[in-house]
Amino acid sequence: MIKFRGRFGFSLSFALLLIWPGTFTAASAASAGDQHLITLKASAMPSGQLAYEMVSHKVKSPAGKESDLTERYASGATIPGPTLVMKEGDVAEVTLQHGIADAQLPVSIHVHGVHYKIDSDGTMKLLNGVADEAAFPGKPYTYKWTAAPGTAGTWAYHDHTFGNPMLGAEDKGLFGTLIINPASGKVPALIDGKVVDVDLAEIKREFILWMHETTFWGQELNHIVEGGKEIPLWTNPTVGARMGEKVRFHVIGIGTAFHTFHLHAHRWIEPGTTAGVDTVNIGPISRTSFVVKAGEGVGPGDWHYHCHVIQHMQSGMMGDFRVIE
Amino acid sequence: MNRATIMNCVSFLTLAVATTSLAAPLAAQAKDAVNSDDVIISRPGVLPSAVLEMTDEPGKWFKDPKSGGSLVVVKPGEAVLIKMTDTNTDHTITSLAWQPGADKFPVDQEKPSNASITHTFDKPGLYVFTCKVHPYMFGAVVVDDPKTEGLDIGGELQLVTGAKVPTTSDIAKKLLRTFFVATTPALWRDYRQPKWEVKLPDLGLNLGGAQINLSALSLSAPNTLLTPKTPGVGEVWVNTQFEGVSGKTKFGTATQIDATNWTLKKKVKGVEQNMNNPHNMWPDPTYKYIYQTEWFDKRLTTFDRESGKVLNTQVVGQNPSHVMTSPITGMLYVAINGEDRVAKLSPGEFPSAMGNINVGPHSGPHGHHLTDDGKYMMTPNALAGSVTVVDLATEKATEIPTGGVIPIAIWSDMNHKAYAANLLGTPPAMLSSLTVIDIDNKKKVKDIDLAADYDPISGAHKGEAYGLLPIQTPVSPDGKYVVTANTLSATVTIVDVKTDKVVKSLPCEAGCHGVNFGHKKGGGYYAYVASKFANDLIVIDMDKLEVVGRILLADSKDGQITAHNGMGGQGVLPLPIVERGMLAPTLKLAGTGKLSAEVEGWLKLLTKEQRGN
Repeated sequence: MIKFRGRFGFSLSFALLLIWPGTFTAASAASAGDQHLITLKASAMPSGQLAYEMVSHKVKSPAGKESDLTERYASGATIPGPTLVMKEGDVAEVTLQHGIADAQLPVSIHVHGVHYKIDSDGTMKLLNGVADEAAFPGKPYTYKWTAAPGTAGTWAYHDHTFGNPMLGAEDKGLFGTLIINPASGKVPALIDGKVVDVDLAEIKREFILWMHETTFWGQELNHIVEGGKEIPLWTNPTVGARMGEKVRFHVIGIGTAFHTFHLHAHRWIEPGTTAGVDTVNIGPISRTSFVVKAGEGVGPGDWHYHCHVIQHMQSGMMGDFRVIE
Repeated sequence: MNRATIMNCVSFLTLAVATTSLAAPLAAQAKDAVNSDDVIISRPGVLPSAVLEMTDEPGKWFKDPKSGGSLVVVKPGEAVLIKMTDTNTDHTITSLAWQPGADKFPVDQEKPSNASITHTFDKPGLYVFTCKVHPYMFGAVVVDDPKTEGLDIGGELQLVTGAKVPTTSDIAKKLLRTFFVATTPALWRDYRQPKWEVKLPDLGLNLGGAQINLSALSLSAPNTLLTPKTPGVGEVWVNTQFEGVSGKTKFGTATQIDATNWTLKKKVKGVEQNMNNPHNMWPDPTYKYIYQTEWFDKRLTTFDRESGKVLNTQVVGQNPSHVMTSPITGMLYVAINGEDRVAKLSPGEFPSAMGNINVGPHSGPHGHHLTDDGKYMMTPNALAGSVTVVDLATEKATEIPTGGVIPIAIWSDMNHKAYAANLLGTPPAMLSSLTVIDIDNKKKVKDIDLAADYDPISGAHKGEAYGLLPIQTPVSPDGKYVVTANTLSATVTIVDVKTDKVVKSLPCEAGCHGVNFGHKKGGGYYAYVASKFANDLIVIDMDKLEVVGRILLADSKDGQITAHNGMGGQGVLPLPIVERGMLAPTLKLAGTGKLSAEVEGWLKLLTKEQRGN
C-alpha cells in the first residue's frame, strides 16, 4: 500500500477530484477507475434495530461499460450493512435515503478510509461547521468518496447523527463495511509457510465479522456465485470454506468494547510485516483483513473463532470456521 | 390512568405481536439463499426478532426500541437480543422468572458488565429478566404460540428463588401486576390525583389453558395525603431517584422536606453534573455537606445542604449504592455495588480516595451499615448471598454465607446484632426473609420469615408476617424494632428485636424501598418510608406503630421538573441522625461555632433520651 502511494504520489487523487463525475453522463472517460453510483437506505429491522440496506449499485468502467451490481446484495436491511467493494482509483457517489419509519431525526453515513470533501463527512453542522450532512425523511443526502491511492484496506462506514449528533446510532446497528482493494489486485498472505502475493481473483470467499459488544455480526461475500453474492450471516455464525481454498477475513470492531479476535489453528501475517499471528486486538473501528488457506497444515474441521476476552466468551461471542473436503 | 395510556399499552402489545411475524420471511429468505447453492458453506447464526436495550431511564430499564415498553412478544424458536449500549454503568442480565424446563435457562451473568446476550426461546410462556445490582430493572419476553388462544404466559413460573408457582397463584399475579406498574410510569401512584388507577389493558392471557384477562389485575384506590399531628425535628432528605429534570438527560433529585411543618423546601437536581439516579445520602458531622451516591453511574457527589449547590462529583466505581461515615474517624465508606469493594474516602468538601476494602469475590455490596460505635462495617452482598463483617480498625473482612438470595440491605443495633434483608428470601422455605447476624462472633444466628403468614397460592394472609421482597431494614434507635419496607407486598413489617418475630405489618406503597428513622418532637421516633412508584413519603409513629403521615414529594410549582414528579423514592436521610453513636460527633460540635444556627436549633429540640445521655 505504502509502496503504491510512493509510486503514484498525490497527483492522481488531485486529478480525480478535479474530474469528479457526478453522474455517468459527465465527462468521465478520463477517470482512472470505476465510478460507483450507490443508493443506500437506513431503515428499522423487524426487531427494532436500525440497519442499512442496498437500494441500487451501478458501476461504470473507464471504458464506459455500465453494470448493475444491485442483485449481488441481500434484500432488506442487514447487520452489518451492505459491503461495498471498490478498488484504489475508483470514485463513488453514495446517496442515503431515510427510511426509518416514524422517526424525523437525521441519519447519515460517515465513512472511514477513503477521501472526501468536508460536505461528505456525514456529520451535523454542529460538528463540521458546514452543513447538516444527513438524510431526512423524503430528503436524501449524497456523499462523494474517492478511493485515492493509499486507501486500500477494509473500512467502516456508520451513522454519525441519528438520535445524538455527537454519537449517531452505530450502536443500534447502523454500520457497514467498505473494502477498497489495492490497484495491484494483489494482497500479501502467508500461504504454505511463505509470504506471497495472492491475486484477489483467486479468493472466492470473504468473511466479514464485526465485533459489537459481545456479539459477532457476520456476512459472506461469495465470488463463486455468478456476479457475486452477499449473504447475511447474523450473529455468531459459522463461516465455511473448502479445504485448501484461499479465503479472506475482514474483522472490524464497533461500540465501546475492546476485543482479541482469535481463529483456531490458522496463522496469518501481521499487516506490513512477515510475522505470523493468530490473534489480533480489535478496538472500536479498528480493523484488520487477512488471507488464510483453509485448513492449511491442520486439515478439515470446525475450527473455532472467538473473542478471547473471557467475559465476552462467556456471553457467547464465538462461532466456527468450517473447513470441509 | 387516562385512555390514551391504555391505548398505548394495548397497541404496544399488539404491535409487538404483529411485527414479529415480519422476522420470519427475512430469516427464511436468508436461509434459502444459503441452502439454494452448496457453494455456500457458511451457516447463518441467529437473527434476533426483538431487542431489549438496558437503560438508566426510570421504568424503561429494558426498553424495546420499537414500542418503548419493557415487554416483547416473540414466537417459539425466535431470539431476543438484550444489550447495554444506553447505560452509564454495568449490569447483569439475570432470569427472575422463567418457564420450567425451558432450554438454556435460567440466564445469569455472574459479574456485572456491559455484555449483551442473544437468547433463543423454545417454550411458550412468560420470561422475566432483571439485573442483580438493580433488582427492580424489569424486562419481559412473552413467547407466544400463535396457535393458542390469548397471550401465552404458561401454566407455571419457575422463580429464581427455587420456588415453582402456578401462574394462577396470587404471587404470580402480584409479580405480573408489579411488572406492569414498575415498567409503566403512567401507572405510578401520583398523590396529586384524587385516585390511583392501575388500569391494565384488555388483553387475553393464557395461563397454561386457563384464560384470564390482564385487565382483571387492575386496581383503584383513593389518594389521601396525611399530615402528622406531631412535628418532627429537623428535616428529611429523600432521593426522588426517578424525577425528570429539564437541562439534564439523566434522572433523579434529592428532595428536602422540613419535618417541623411537613413542607417541601427544595430539590437538589445536579443539572450541570447530569446527576444520575441519586440513591442514598449521608452527611458530614456538621451537616454542611451531604454525600450522594449515583447508583446507575460511577460517581459520588457532594452537595451543600443549605444551598443545594453541588460542590464535587467524582468517579468512585461501578454502581456506588450507599454511603456512611465513621463516627470515630469521619471517613466515608461507599459501597461499590457493581464491584467487590467498599471505597474509603476522606471527609469534607472534596473527598479523596483513601483505599478500598474488599468484601469478597463477586460480592456486589449494596446497603451497608456501620455499627453505632464505629467498630464494624457490615455489607449485604447482593451478588454473593453472603454478609461480610469488616473490623474497621484492621480492615479485616470476614464473609459469612447466609443462603439468602440478593441480600440487599443490613442494619445493626447497639448490641452488635444485625439484620440483613434478603430480597428474594432464603430458599427453599422462605420467600422473603431477614438474616440475623451476630457481629462479634461473625456468624449467622437465624432467618426470620417475613411472609410466614402469607399463602402464595391463595394470597390469604391471616397474621402480621406479610412482607414480600424486603429492602431497607433499619433498627430503631431505641433498639426495639426492625422496620422493613417490602416492595412486592407494599407492606412495612415490624419485627420485635427481643423475640425476632413480626409483630405488625402496615401498608406502604407499590415499590416501597427506603426506610430510616427521624426524631419526633418531644421524644420518640418516626420511621420514614419512601417508595419508587409513588410520590409520597410515609410517616410511621414508632410509639403507636401506625401510619400517621403521607407527605407529598412532588412539587407542581417547579417548572424544571419534566417527568415523574416526586417519584422514585429510595434513600431516606432524616437529620439530625438518630443513632446515638452517629449523632455524638455532631452533638460534640454544639456551641463551637462549627454548626449552623439551624442545626444548633435542631439539637436543642432533642430530648435527653434522643441525645443518648
